[in-house]
Amino acid sequence: MPEIKEYSLEPKKKAKINNTGILFIVLVVLFVLFSYIGRPFFFSVLNLVPMLNNLSFIGIIAAVLTMVMVTGELDFSVGGNIGLTACMVALLLSKGLPGWLVVVIALCGGALMGAFNGFLATVIGVNSMIATIGTMFIWRGIGYTLSNGESMLAIDPVVDYIGRGYLFKVIPFPIVIFVIIFAITYMVMNLSKWGRRIYAIGTNPMASYLSGINVKKVKFINFLLCGITASLGGLILTSLSAVGMPQHGQQLELIIISGIVLGGTALGGGKGQILGTLAGILILSILYNFLTIMNVLYFYIQIVQGSVLILVVATYEIRQSRALKRV
Amino acid sequence: MAKSEKQYSMFKNFLRTPTPTLIGLYIVMIIIFTIADRNFLTIQNFRGIFNNFAVFGILASGVTIVMIAGGFDLSIGSIAGLVGIVSAVLMMDRFAISTPLVVIIAIVIGCIVGLINGLIITKIGINPIITTLGTLAIVRGICYFWANLNPRIYNVFIQNLGRKFILNAIPYTTMYIVVFFIILTLILKFTRFGRNLYAIGGNETLARLAGIPVDRIKAITYVISGFFCAIAGLLLISQLGSGRPEYGTGAELEVLTIVVLGGVTVGGGKGNFLGVFVALVIIQTISNGMVMMDVPIFLRQVVKGALLVLVISIDALRNRRNLQLY
Repeated sequence: MPEIKEYSLEPKKKAKINNTGILFIVLVVLFVLFSYIGRPFFFSVLNLVPMLNNLSFIGIIAAVLTMVMVTGELDFSVGGNIGLTACMVALLLSKGLPGWLVVVIALCGGALMGAFNGFLATVIGVNSMIATIGTMFIWRGIGYTLSNGESMLAIDPVVDYIGRGYLFKVIPFPIVIFVIIFAITYMVMNLSKWGRRIYAIGTNPMASYLSGINVKKVKFINFLLCGITASLGGLILTSLSAVGMPQHGQQLELIIISGIVLGGTALGGGKGQILGTLAGILILSILYNFLTIMNVLYFYIQIVQGSVLILVVATYEIRQSRALKRV
Repeated sequence: MAKSEKQYSMFKNFLRTPTPTLIGLYIVMIIIFTIADRNFLTIQNFRGIFNNFAVFGILASGVTIVMIAGGFDLSIGSIAGLVGIVSAVLMMDRFAISTPLVVIIAIVIGCIVGLINGLIITKIGINPIITTLGTLAIVRGICYFWANLNPRIYNVFIQNLGRKFILNAIPYTTMYIVVFFIILTLILKFTRFGRNLYAIGGNETLARLAGIPVDRIKAITYVISGFFCAIAGLLLISQLGSGRPEYGTGAELEVLTIVVLGGVTVGGGKGNFLGVFVALVIIQTISNGMVMMDVPIFLRQVVKGALLVLVISIDALRNRRNLQLY
């Protein structure tokens, strides 16, 4: 007599803490642990404020890239975008253009780069993972061409303020940008029609198309926004370091993508939370900051970054396949 | 009768591949470059072109196999760099390891890294692009363990591997590539393994349902890629005469362009080695032509990236099955 298993149609009793909650607990535990091991350097204003500044330009890109990834696409070219923006800003400033104009041009350049990625992914229909690997090399190559491989000083009151200014003389300006962008993306993803469309497209593009969503338009605009945000990140980094050099943002895609996936966004799309991305990026930032503080050589950190990417994705894949087997 | 029909269909199949277009394109390119620079069409220059593409050609043969089965490998440049520096270090006087052993160790390292790639991709089921992006960083990081040793190559066998010419005109390395490509073509055409690769690339679910051991074969393709990376690594240190941790950086861009231009579809299931060989010659001739025409080095990277984007766009447009609505 075979056993008959009972399946209830009612949803299982939900655990009290969801994945994002677990991530934030991990974050706090790691923070306390690192503060203890890395004392007295880790938990000090001199370390935490620069760390948050650094995190802000990674974080804003990650927030918008989450929107792209939820639709099932991917943008590798953000690091190259940063490199190109940095060189462009430094070059234009050295030509004597006013700072505000340079900022506007940089953001427009980012929009163009994002639009090109979006064009490739939606109109032509290239797999965006591979297309953006190509554009990553193009952007960085243009950056090298503009700067002739050298690093150029980028000093201007407006540009300086973006990365090193303080709002009300207390809060560093990058952190203000960071908070604003996260708040906007959170509201877009969770409260707006646009956000629901993004989730719908990621879950089932065919069904979304049939129910009247302009899938290509949504994806295209997401890429466009991602390009603009990456340029903003490039501006912050240029301002923080006061130089524009084509190596800016190299291998950043590794950190950003592993942070997003750590936050629970599926590579195939349809799943993802802005808060999860926030937690993921925070965890990785304090991890890499801690490794630097502990005097770990750069190439060891590179090994750790690659391993973290694979480990994180592997964990989610294993959990997902287990969940599928349970059904 | 039947034979001629078969020949006719083979010719028609050949015309259906992008290879004839590529050959036409190449002839036009040679004419343009010859007009631009009269030193272009010389034996000296072509000897250089053919010897320079050795590393990329060897890497491309592994990547073609991986991509026909629907996979992807970004870590090739790093693996070649790792194999290069490890074997260069092992050949230093203080270790005194015999040459055959060094070659064997090199190949074993390449295959092991490939196997790790393959196991992660098939057993855990991660997207191959993400996996190999991770291993790219990891393996490159490992290369830097030996960054301070700065080994030189004095081993005669390794030196001759990538530097000798037949009749002072044809490089040995081109012979290796031709031999590898012919062997791999025969494997693809006439063995069960080869047919399975196309089946998996065409439709993985169907291949699985038809009883093909999909996971095992996909893992094997990454091992093959690792094997070719090892040979490419040995050629790298042979041609450059030393072992440095940054050798092979960015090779994935060039190899990817070559393989896709050669008609290997990004999703898998299509592609042959004749096309890849023509694409290899084309891409290397473009690189050479840019050097001849004094294009600044940084602009060359832009051109290479743009070529990749162009090539994959054409590939996407060509393989678009029906109207894309979303």
